[in-house]
Amino acid sequence: MLKIEKLSKNYGKFPALKELSLEVPDGQLHGFVGPNGAGKTTTMRILATLMAPTSGAAWVDGTNLVREGQKARKLVGYMPDFFGVYDNLTCREYLDFYARCYRIGAEERKRMGSQLLELVQLQEKENEYVNGLSRGMKQRLCLARSLIHDPKLLILDEPASGMDPRARAEMKGILRTLREMGKTVLISSHILPELSEMCDSLTILDHGELVFSGSVEELSDRMNGNAPLDIRLAETAGAEAVEEAVRCLRELPYITEILQEEPFLLRVRLDGGEDVCMAAMRELVTRNVPVCDFHRAPMNLEKVFMEVTQDA
Amino acid sequence: MLNPILSFSAIRRMRTFRTMLIVIAYEAALLVLAMAITGGFLKDELYLNMMERGPLCYAVMLGAQFVMLFLIAPAMTSGAVAGERERQTLDLLLVTNTGSFRIITGKILESFALLALLIICAVPVECLCLMTGGVTILQILTGTLFLLAVALACSAVGVFCSSMCRSTVASGVMSYIVLLGIGVVTALPFVFGYPRRITDVVYDAELYAELTPAGARAMIPALLYLNPGFGLLSLIQGQLHVLTGYMTGHGWGRIYCTWLMMDRADCGMIAVICAGGLVLVSAALAGGAALLIRRRTQTVKS
Repeated sequence: MLKIEKLSKNYGKFPALKELSLEVPDGQLHGFVGPNGAGKTTTMRILATLMAPTSGAAWVDGTNLVREGQKARKLVGYMPDFFGVYDNLTCREYLDFYARCYRIGAEERKRMGSQLLELVQLQEKENEYVNGLSRGMKQRLCLARSLIHDPKLLILDEPASGMDPRARAEMKGILRTLREMGKTVLISSHILPELSEMCDSLTILDHGELVFSGSVEELSDRMNGNAPLDIRLAETAGAEAVEEAVRCLRELPYITEILQEEPFLLRVRLDGGEDVCMAAMRELVTRNVPVCDFHRAPMNLEKVFMEVTQDA
Repeated sequence: MLNPILSFSAIRRMRTFRTMLIVIAYEAALLVLAMAITGGFLKDELYLNMMERGPLCYAVMLGAQFVMLFLIAPAMTSGAVAGERERQTLDLLLVTNTGSFRIITGKILESFALLALLIICAVPVECLCLMTGGVTILQILTGTLFLLAVALACSAVGVFCSSMCRSTVASGVMSYIVLLGIGVVTALPFVFGYPRRITDVVYDAELYAELTPAGARAMIPALLYLNPGFGLLSLIQGQLHVLTGYMTGHGWGRIYCTWLMMDRADCGMIAVICAGGLVLVSAALAGGAALLIRRRTQTVKS
């Protein structure tokens, strides 16, 4: 299990990360979301033992990532957002090189190399030079590299950045397989809808501060309370019905915004919870407005993210 | 287990055409030099004074290799760590279980391996001197060992500078400056603070006759032992005794006095001390570079 406690990092006087505390249970795919400069990469570099925090600590399975760097490196696999590859090395040699850096024995190196090349679907490129691979293939090879020592925690910083949709879908498939294998994965991405589909839980950072941490459902539930109402009117009633609905809604004190999304679809923002929502519906029905559909607008992760970071 | 940085970097380097070109150019330059000096012998023209050409050829080739090492080493080592930074592969190395010191020693040894390849490939060329006589194979091998010590020190300086700089170009320039600086700074005792005792002893025949090799070594300023050029001259003088003859009677002052002092101190031993000093400096630089690569990574703002 990954545990982060009051982790802070300052670059000079600039606080990049402010007392981040977080827990990720075993076998979870945890999304790390935030706008540029939110502190995602800083957190990931600290967890990968590449950087010392200004204060705070982090543990993987009880091993302190800050103080027990050498031991921690066996438990953590890291794939940075930008990375290069060595020229004049084949894919097999590339993995073999990193396996030797992790002091893995010859037999195990060979076995892991074959398994991982198969996992990332590069077994056919085994003897091809790494610098000749496409970007997507390099990303997959780097993912295989980060798994070469069979780490418990996998840290992936924007693993799908710069990939075409097909390569992204392949990467998604590999991540699902990793979850099935029981790996704990910490993944950051700007492709938020993809994270919402894949992740069990999420952390949203903004300006180095934790804005939200919890399951995707919790986040959606929390945000759906503030989601706008979509009110669809019967088309057979004509334009007068829409005017009547707008007039009626404007009279209600808790309605803050009315938008006409489509000719017969109104999107309404209101100040309040379910009681206010019920009152609005009751009012419309009482005034004989021909409402045929009335529901909270679905919030995908992207919308939620925008809302949350805007508030912060 | 062999250092993976060393073995894989060597594989990658040896797969490039550039490495082969460097080896060919280096050996060709030495061959041309050797042919130019011993050319008359190869034309079946044999004179008595040609016997002197063997030692001269050897000394010139040793000197030429010494200079070439100083020119080639920074170019070879400048990308050792800075190149990893530019290629964005350093982080991938630092998250492995290979410690910083092992990474640095791998880098130094890999650069050293190429320089060692150049030096060892030059041994057959140096053996051309054997044809004219005046030089033994043992002397050539000793000279090779000294050059290997110099190559190790040059590699260590190059890798140290590479771990300090963010770019390969800056690292290369810095390496040249540092190597030049080491040469100048360690030669300073010749110019400033030259021990007058040396002159006093050399010009006093009685004192000079009583001077033991250890006593003579103690009189030579310690900093001078870290000057690779001083080591090379000691080696050539110790092996061939050709250089004193050039100076006698030319009024070379303190250089001549130092020369005589070196003769008394056993030039071979001075060369050994100098080579040992260079190896120690290399180890110290490796330690410094190992500290630097992690510290430099810490300051990267994401």
